[in-house]
Amino acid sequence: MNSVEHSAKPYWNPYLSGFGLGLVLLASFVIMGRGLGASGAFTTAVATAVHQVAPTHAENNAFYAEYLGDGSRSPLKDWLVFEVLGVFVGGFLSGVLANRLKLTVEKGPRIGKPWRLIFAFIGGALMGIGAKIALGCTSGQALTGGSLLNVGSWAFMMCVFGGAYALAYFFRKQWI
Amino acid sequence: MNAPFYKFALFGDEASFILAFVIGIGFGFFLERAGFGNARKLAAQFYLRDLSVLKVMFTAIVTAMTGLYLLSRMGFVDLSLVYLVPTFLVPQIVGGLLLGFGFVIGGYCPGTSCVSAVTGRIDGMVYITGMIAGLVGFAEVYPRLQGFVNMTPMGQITLARLFNLPYGLLVFATVLMAVGAFMAGEWAEKKFGGKEPDPKGSLIGRPWRLTSVRVLALGLIAAGFVASVAGDPYRGSHATIDTKSLELRVARGADSIQPADLASWIIQGRNDFTLVDLRPEKDFAAYHIPTAQNLPLASLTPDFAAHNQKIVLCSDDGIQAAKAWFLLEAQGFRSVYSLNGGMRAWQDTVLFPRKSSGADTAASEKQAQVAKYFGGAQQAEGATASTVAAPVLPVVTMPAAPAVTNTISSKPQARKKKEGC
Repeated sequence: MNSVEHSAKPYWNPYLSGFGLGLVLLASFVIMGRGLGASGAFTTAVATAVHQVAPTHAENNAFYAEYLGDGSRSPLKDWLVFEVLGVFVGGFLSGVLANRLKLTVEKGPRIGKPWRLIFAFIGGALMGIGAKIALGCTSGQALTGGSLLNVGSWAFMMCVFGGAYALAYFFRKQWI
Repeated sequence: MNAPFYKFALFGDEASFILAFVIGIGFGFFLERAGFGNARKLAAQFYLRDLSVLKVMFTAIVTAMTGLYLLSRMGFVDLSLVYLVPTFLVPQIVGGLLLGFGFVIGGYCPGTSCVSAVTGRIDGMVYITGMIAGLVGFAEVYPRLQGFVNMTPMGQITLARLFNLPYGLLVFATVLMAVGAFMAGEWAEKKFGGKEPDPKGSLIGRPWRLTSVRVLALGLIAAGFVASVAGDPYRGSHATIDTKSLELRVARGADSIQPADLASWIIQGRNDFTLVDLRPEKDFAAYHIPTAQNLPLASLTPDFAAHNQKIVLCSDDGIQAAKAWFLLEAQGFRSVYSLNGGMRAWQDTVLFPRKSSGADTAASEKQAQVAKYFGGAQQAEGATASTVAAPVLPVVTMPAAPAVTNTISSKPQARKKKEGC
């Protein structure tokens, strides 16, 4: 792993990456009639796991029940689950091709690893909750709904940026 | 051509999973290429030092938006079949703020965390663990939050419909806004991040050469301009009518639904259909079938519902409904039904059915229960064919619409998550 970090290639130009991402999203609209997503796949996975451990608990919970389906087939046979598996593979391929695979923690110089990881956990938990309240995350709402001129998605997107900028000052040591 | 292909059943579920995987690979690849596996690069957005998040996100949005507009306008894609997540304004504002907090605290969003974890970032892996914990916690409190998350439902609605502006004009405005934000962003990067714009990869800065990035921006602006003058992207402004298939549907009776069937759908709490009441507002206020929406004929535009949505139309005697049925069929809606006999038949057969002496008791009992459910009552025996044929309608005041609460399990606006994120 150490030998590759010296030759990590620079990131692509953001406009060109965005254009590529936009074409992928457009392909999803044309082929499937739906956009991209991420958090939904994790919810399905969580619901399935809880159902394995405590079947009655999961079935009695309105939230899990919605992701478990009618039981006629595995809830993991879901479009978003396969899409997110693809995201992992695509990210890995791109990382390999650019020599960017590296076991590391991304953080600013003024914070220790333990705190960075604690914040990563808290941030992840907030995202999980927020995505379920808002019916989507940055992929399913902002990106997908944004390009469909969806009312809720635009309100959501403004609030994501608003929320992040509002707290940015307090977390500056973590990043800069 | 008929797109979205999946909605036109050009392939099945199994094939859709393979396509999902391939589309996902593309998604993950471009996220990683942009540097979105790196929390520091993502978070720099919020300190105005590196605005890649803004640039990537809005370039993607504008690309997909203009592309979809043009393909729809050319008749290649039926835009009404592209799934739109329903709007619940207040929960989406609150959820958005929480996501924003999570973004600056955790450094990722769900999609980028996958790319980060798989390229070896431990913070990305921990972030995913946190997200799973958040989901488990949310599930436990969900029953108590149901009222909140279903607040302020606005249905599936675009900005174009909300503000009553032409769709194409909004597309153009969004493109211009995005390009303006990119230029302001590059200026901010220079000021706050001390980053000189790379002459090859930025919009501002000299020399004024036509680089690929500038060509892309000009191309998107041009496409946006075309959108602003090209008209409505939804299908249906030029109706084509297949008279043979209409004939067949009418002959088979597949164009209408019996009042008793509609009643049982509602009692079962089915929410896979939209019930449209075409009568004047006054009559609707006096009585309407539970779950019905009051829409005048003129509001049945091609984009008022998805074209594969099941729609049941009702009016007083069925004539208005028949007109609306024809209009919607011509606009390309695929499963439109009119309530057979209109509200009069509903009144006579569901609300105030006549008990016939010949019928078996179980059926009669059920008839009475259904009538009671909808706020009516079974009528006593004795109505003969001659009195029914007489044009004297039973003098009944319509009962007040029963409240659609606990007895009917369907919520008028069910939160449909499966197709969302």
